[in-house]
Amino acid sequence: MKLNRRTIFGTITAGALAMSMAACGGGSDDDAAGDGELVSGEITGSGASFPDAFYAAAIEAYAEVNPELIVTYNAVGSGTGKSEFGEGLNDFAGSDSLVKDGDGPAEGSFQYIPTVAAPITISYNLPGVDGLQIDQETLANIFQGAITTWNDPAIAATNEGVELPDTAITIAHRSDGSGTTSNFTKFLDEATDAWTLGAGDEITWPEGSIGGEKNTGVATVITQTEGAIGYVDLADATETGLVTASIENADGSFIQPTLEATTAALEGAEVAEDLSYNPLNAAGAETYPIVAPTYILLHTEYEDENVAAGVKEFVNYLLTDGQDIAEDNSFAPLPDALRQQAVDALNETIA
Amino acid sequence: MTTTASPESPPQVDLGGEARSRRTDKGFTGLVTFAGLTVLIVLGLILVTTSVQAWPAIAHDPIEFLTGTDWVPGDEIFGTLPFLYGTLVTSVIAMVVAVPVSIGIALFITEVAHRRSRKYIVTIVDLLATVPSVVFGLVGSIVLIPWVTPIYQWWAGLMAPIPGLNAIFDETNTGRNYFTAGLILAVMCIPIITSISREVFATVPEIDKQGAYALGATRWEMIKGAILPHSFGGLVGASMLGLGRAMGETIAVALVIGGSLTIGTNLFEPGNTMAAVIAQQFGESSGMHTEALIGIGVVLFAITVLINFLARTVVRRAEIKMKGAHS
Amino acid sequence: MTTLQGQTPPDLSGRNLSFRRAFANRAATTLIALCVLVAALPLALVAWEVVSKGASAWSLAWFIDEIPRNYRTEGPGMGPAILGTLTITGMAALLSIPIGVLGAVYLNEYGKNKPLARFIRTMADVMTGVPSIMMGLFIYVGYVIVIGDKTGFGGALALACLMLPIVIRSTEEMLRLVPDELRQASSGLGARKWRTTLGVVLPAASSGITSGSLLAVARAAGETAPIIVTVGLTYIYKPDLFDGQNTTLAAQIFRNASQPFAASQERAWGAALTLIAIVFVFTILSRIIAARFAIDKR
Repeated sequence: MKLNRRTIFGTITAGALAMSMAACGGGSDDDAAGDGELVSGEITGSGASFPDAFYAAAIEAYAEVNPELIVTYNAVGSGTGKSEFGEGLNDFAGSDSLVKDGDGPAEGSFQYIPTVAAPITISYNLPGVDGLQIDQETLANIFQGAITTWNDPAIAATNEGVELPDTAITIAHRSDGSGTTSNFTKFLDEATDAWTLGAGDEITWPEGSIGGEKNTGVATVITQTEGAIGYVDLADATETGLVTASIENADGSFIQPTLEATTAALEGAEVAEDLSYNPLNAAGAETYPIVAPTYILLHTEYEDENVAAGVKEFVNYLLTDGQDIAEDNSFAPLPDALRQQAVDALNETIA
Repeated sequence: MTTTASPESPPQVDLGGEARSRRTDKGFTGLVTFAGLTVLIVLGLILVTTSVQAWPAIAHDPIEFLTGTDWVPGDEIFGTLPFLYGTLVTSVIAMVVAVPVSIGIALFITEVAHRRSRKYIVTIVDLLATVPSVVFGLVGSIVLIPWVTPIYQWWAGLMAPIPGLNAIFDETNTGRNYFTAGLILAVMCIPIITSISREVFATVPEIDKQGAYALGATRWEMIKGAILPHSFGGLVGASMLGLGRAMGETIAVALVIGGSLTIGTNLFEPGNTMAAVIAQQFGESSGMHTEALIGIGVVLFAITVLINFLARTVVRRAEIKMKGAHS
Repeated sequence: MTTLQGQTPPDLSGRNLSFRRAFANRAATTLIALCVLVAALPLALVAWEVVSKGASAWSLAWFIDEIPRNYRTEGPGMGPAILGTLTITGMAALLSIPIGVLGAVYLNEYGKNKPLARFIRTMADVMTGVPSIMMGLFIYVGYVIVIGDKTGFGGALALACLMLPIVIRSTEEMLRLVPDELRQASSGLGARKWRTTLGVVLPAASSGITSGSLLAVARAAGETAPIIVTVGLTYIYKPDLFDGQNTTLAAQIFRNASQPFAASQERAWGAALTLIAIVFVFTILSRIIAARFAIDKR
């Protein structure tokens, strides 16, 4: 790994502090922000844009706790974040997806830390029709263009008593590559038999579907187009006042995308040894089925102890006090068990 | 280094420093030649670094890469034809709109407008150049699209009975399409094409113009007979710069094109362009997908080379045809 | 529009024109005037949108304060982005305009129709069509990864690559317009070619070169994609382009506009207005400067 210019500057300004942090590093367990001296300097992260709004809010709140440590998070996308992580350009990376071969980071050189999760809403624009219930197979058929009008019998079947217009369905999707698309298509791919379009950061959508740039772009498309349906993260759907559909979960009940239903899904998900987990279509009566996790990647070794201490302090903040900020920003906090696992992993990775 | 103007006094005869002056002359020649070569060096470096990075994806299946119509990064299927198509379609729309309009504005400034109002019009065009492309994209996607969608639908209805045209202007449910992207690109190209066209028109010898008037020509006939033939080469050059901008434009297009993978005659359908797809997908890409995106950049590069060579041939032929036209 | 009847042509017998010719003339003049409208319309639309949505963000604190870290935090602060835009674009201009102008001098005064010059000319045109993100990737691979840090200077390099061909080609077009008589007069007085070029040709073309360079600066200042790749992000003032990550207004526009929150949307429009204002002020300033040095062509 190359020597970081930034770390040099950091060391010059706070060399002494680094020493003291290294000395008391073992003592800071659950709540590093609470005891010992605070780290100063600058740490940078980059990666996924999905949790950007939460990280931005947490960074601001953290600046109140420790104004001496300047944290930046640049939402360049998970792929770029991981490759920058591999090049040593950032101190931590945000990613919605796990590391694959060829992504950049070498095996064993990083640790996943789950931070928050959020539901992916199915939002639609159909004046006068609220609270649609859509089952999983129908959802797949809508998004692959097999169901083309809103009064299709498949939609009507789960919405008794709702008067559905014969408006044509317009699919709205992300035009940029995104973890949101990846998680949504992964859900359709895993949960339904009907889905044939595969899963990935970007897939080939049916003809006539409209792409919007980022979540805000998709939200704009939906508000601008009558009869549109799309997948949008909860923060954007809430802010733009989109109408969201209830989606059938693994237990067969129809659930609205709420934070409680999301945390429920996280509780139902099985966590792997490396702390990665798959909350899609998790079991439980109250779980929302389309939930996207997000992780922070930590280096297992940092050249600069001050940077390591800074990263530890900030990520620890994300997992403790920062969790309270999540809900205000339409992100679901981790369930306590998973959160504790994450804190333990953090303390293990950065001693 | 002073660039736009040198503080030198007007040239004087300097008999004493003959040898030194000759040496300076040589040095200066070397300096400017090197500056000229910088373009080649930078471009060469860009081409080499990007080609090297893109090679695995292109070599993966070169025929598919150039002619394939499917783009499925998850399955390592990288066909770039839809993006190439989108780039060509949007650029053509942009040129069809921007070139006549820009030439019109330039003519208005040089031939029609008062000296005083000339300044204001030049300012308008320059102001247009100061608008960042991301702002064009934002205004386009938020304000323009809801306006134009019904216009497109109305127009498509009007064209429906006309064979040929009904395939180009077909039904649509959105304003996020090739046509909107082309229009926004046109607006973005207008300043540079106008600015250069204007300077080109200014070089038409006053004698030619007065001569045309003396023969009883109207203003339009003078423009047709004296100005346009004289300026043809320069206008093509101006248009090429505009085209370059249109083909390489990223953010504004990404915000309004709709990001779909289609090759169709309907200009009112969503599509995508090469530059836009690189920006859209780069952040979340990794491995061969990243390489394929960089490969699109290399292909785009090759296409601009091709188009430029074609344009130069056109200029040369036309200049031979139009007698007396030289530039 | 009364402006249409300006500059009475020497042809005074306009009344005797055949209807067809008179009509063609009228129609063409109207069409030409309409073209101006076509350009003015989008400008008016953009200006209206940006001013109406962005003006409310402006205040003294807007230009001075640091950028809020949270998208949802209301209130001002774009100071670091304004500084970053000025320094990064300024550095890019400093790198590319001298090289570009000298390169154009080579093309028009020395190379002319030599194969090398023709090749460079074509390649410069090609380079204007290279997507800006490719320039960003090139600098990312060739500079950012090598020094191991994203910096403002990396962004300046990427923008300089972007500006170089525009400066060269527009400057060359301007140099071509300098009448040969000026060059001949200069060399007739015994001036060497370099003196003729620096003392006569460049000043004569200075106003055109300025406007061409400004088009390049304006385009560079509005670039987003290469900045995100090479410059990174910061919320605080970073006057030193070599000291870690930086930010620009264009990047802030894109960043804030992609969030749904009212506060960040307002900041995006405010940043757009600021960026347009900065570029416009520079356009006017350099116009004035260029006009001082210009040798009147007429």
